[in-house]
Amino acid sequence: MELQLGLALPIHSSIDGFNHSGSGCSENKKYVKNKRSYEESFGHFLKPLPLLVWSGQPNEEDDRNKKMNTNIHTSNNEGENHLVGWPPIKSWRKKELHDQQHHGHIRIDHRMQGNENQDRRLRPLYVKVNMEGVAIGRQVNLRLYNSYHTLKDSLINMFVKYQNFEEDGVNYTLIFQNKQGDWLLTEHIPWQSFIGTVRRLAILGNEKMKIFDKY
Amino acid sequence: MMCKSKKKKDSKHETNFMNSSSAFPDEVLERVLSMVKSRKDRSSVSLVCKEWYNAERWSRKNVFIGNCYSVTPEILTRRFPNIRSVTLKGKPRFSDFNLVPANWGADIHPWLVVFAEKYPFLEELKLKRMFVTDESLEFLAFSFPNFKALSLLSCDGFSTDGLAAVATYCKNLTELDIQENGIDDKNGNWLSCFPESFTSLEVLNFANLNNDVNFDALEKLVGRCKSLKTLKVNKSITLEQLQRLLVRAPQLCELGTGSFSQELTCQQHSELKRAFNNCKSLHTLSGLWVASTQYLEVLYPACTNLTFLNFSYAPLDSEDLSKLLVHCPNLRRLWVVDTVEDKGLEAVGTYCPLLEELRVFPADPFDEGVAHGVTESGFIAVSEGCRKLHYVLYFCRQMTNAAVATVVQNCPDFTHFRLCIMTPGQPDYLTDEPMDEAFGAVVKNCTKLQRLAVSGSLTDLTFEYIGRHAKNLETLSVAFAGSSDWGMQCVLYGCPKLRKLEIRDSPFGNAALFSGLGKYESMRSLWMSDCKVTMNGCRFVAQERPRLNVEVINEEGGDDSRAERVYIYRSVAGPRRDAPPFVLTL
Repeated sequence: MELQLGLALPIHSSIDGFNHSGSGCSENKKYVKNKRSYEESFGHFLKPLPLLVWSGQPNEEDDRNKKMNTNIHTSNNEGENHLVGWPPIKSWRKKELHDQQHHGHIRIDHRMQGNENQDRRLRPLYVKVNMEGVAIGRQVNLRLYNSYHTLKDSLINMFVKYQNFEEDGVNYTLIFQNKQGDWLLTEHIPWQSFIGTVRRLAILGNEKMKIFDKY
Repeated sequence: MMCKSKKKKDSKHETNFMNSSSAFPDEVLERVLSMVKSRKDRSSVSLVCKEWYNAERWSRKNVFIGNCYSVTPEILTRRFPNIRSVTLKGKPRFSDFNLVPANWGADIHPWLVVFAEKYPFLEELKLKRMFVTDESLEFLAFSFPNFKALSLLSCDGFSTDGLAAVATYCKNLTELDIQENGIDDKNGNWLSCFPESFTSLEVLNFANLNNDVNFDALEKLVGRCKSLKTLKVNKSITLEQLQRLLVRAPQLCELGTGSFSQELTCQQHSELKRAFNNCKSLHTLSGLWVASTQYLEVLYPACTNLTFLNFSYAPLDSEDLSKLLVHCPNLRRLWVVDTVEDKGLEAVGTYCPLLEELRVFPADPFDEGVAHGVTESGFIAVSEGCRKLHYVLYFCRQMTNAAVATVVQNCPDFTHFRLCIMTPGQPDYLTDEPMDEAFGAVVKNCTKLQRLAVSGSLTDLTFEYIGRHAKNLETLSVAFAGSSDWGMQCVLYGCPKLRKLEIRDSPFGNAALFSGLGKYESMRSLWMSDCKVTMNGCRFVAQERPRLNVEVINEEGGDDSRAERVYIYRSVAGPRRDAPPFVLTL
């Protein structure tokens, strides 16, 4: 069965054209090489968890998260979670193509139409999600959700579809990495604050979560 | 002007003849030298001897200043008294990508003030990345009665009011070219400011302005300017209006269409097709913006002589592009959006064997949807069909070393190779290796390479290759690449013709910076942002090389010892006197 990798959720999934020559894979293969930032990001938190297999490694972008955050927030008023000035496209051209996108002239599958709760004026908020034991991470647009419950269910569905895990969400916990680079439990902050600070997501099994109780 | 110089020289003329140190009277030398057009040749000429230096400076009509802070207007006007055309570039190129704060500088006004006095017969001004206000445009319109051509590219600080002043008062205007600027687009009234008696326009480009213009005024303007060769209208112009313009200006060589998506009746459709058919001189086509498939065919009759197709704002798909390209066998330059995908690029390779330049822009640079874009196969397909390709700008999400090697084997004549793999630090997606071998292949095969932009996961090896092989390289752009100082050192030691080096987010520090000390004065500029150089390192460079301006831009609250953004350039003007507070000159 072909693994469909995409930037959209499986519920809207009919991303036929996207999956050609494994072009989706490249997005995630970049995770493999960067040991440096893996240790920085996860080492202090996860050393007591030798069984935790992170085959998805954060890419170089995270290394620069702290440095880039000042750039992003001072130079970029729209609050995008992107690197400043990258890819190197003139502001004028960026704006023009962006306007065309949002007026539907560019034939891109946004898959945003389904959710009435979404504020259409907000730009999508894509964050990377890794699940324990799963080689390839995914990306989700957090604008499509308004509670941890729906988010978690959706994520579990997304991963479970391709792995033989239990569908029972009770056995999994969602953690997130905030702007400062710290990993925190999602249940502990209100949804809106979460949206304002989240940079990455991870899903851990509950056996691992027992370690967190010590902190 | 010629008379003025002759008077001055008459007495000198006799002396020269008697000295016979020069075989020619000055006037003859000046006449001869006025035919030397190339900047490089003129520079060489000026170095031969004092007579030649003087003859050259009196006869020079055009001047190009690649960095407005490298010289002052006073120094310029003192050396060249008879300039008619000035080209000025201001901010560092990375300002296009928001890496330079607003109000950094490059104000045209002090230049205009001096020109008004010293070059009252100024005819042409071409500005890139300069700060231009409405006041400056008004000043321009009033100060230069012979003014003919204004070109503004990537400038900011002005509004359509400034354009109105130019349109109203520049009686001899032949060219108004407004491209991709940070302009305050208040309204389209400026276009109506061209007086009814005004007929000299040859070039009009307002494609990047968004507001509606008075179509009636535009139609009349186009109708009475019989020498109009270039017309690039904006999105507000409909297909029907375009047809009316084409009927009035069948002599056009360059056309920028408006939006290509109106609902047309059958008759309007055939009238439009006929209008395009009548444009026998068209060699450049751009615009389209929103292009409806069914109307693209009206372009076909005009495509036979097309050499440049700029669809960089027209997100066509592969089918539309293929159908169009069948009719464009003479295409030399093609700019497209990556919505054409690999299949579209295959069509390029098939139908455009004479292609020399290809630029592929991303429709969706921030991965907000599932735009596929182009891959290495499209790149290879173009290289197989277009062996004369020498300029490429290619945005993609995946690439392999092998593909790039194949491309440069097919096309060894690259002079400009700009590859942007959009995820920083991304390796070869098939082998997971760094992209070192790709750029190694580029510099080894393409001996004429002048400009290179690298991307993807790159170690110092890439830069070793560049230093060893890229002997004609003049411009190098680096982002998220390299492993240590050694990389940058290889480039500084190995590339004798390097003029512009711009680096961001790479692990090069003071040692690398210092290794260029012997080189920076022969370069136009060096830019390093988010690298590892420190303030002390920059201070050292400033101390050792007083003829360089060493400027640092630091964010507030940042680490004081780090030099976040460094801009180093040679200058005979000394340190900037107009630097804003956030620019520290060391």
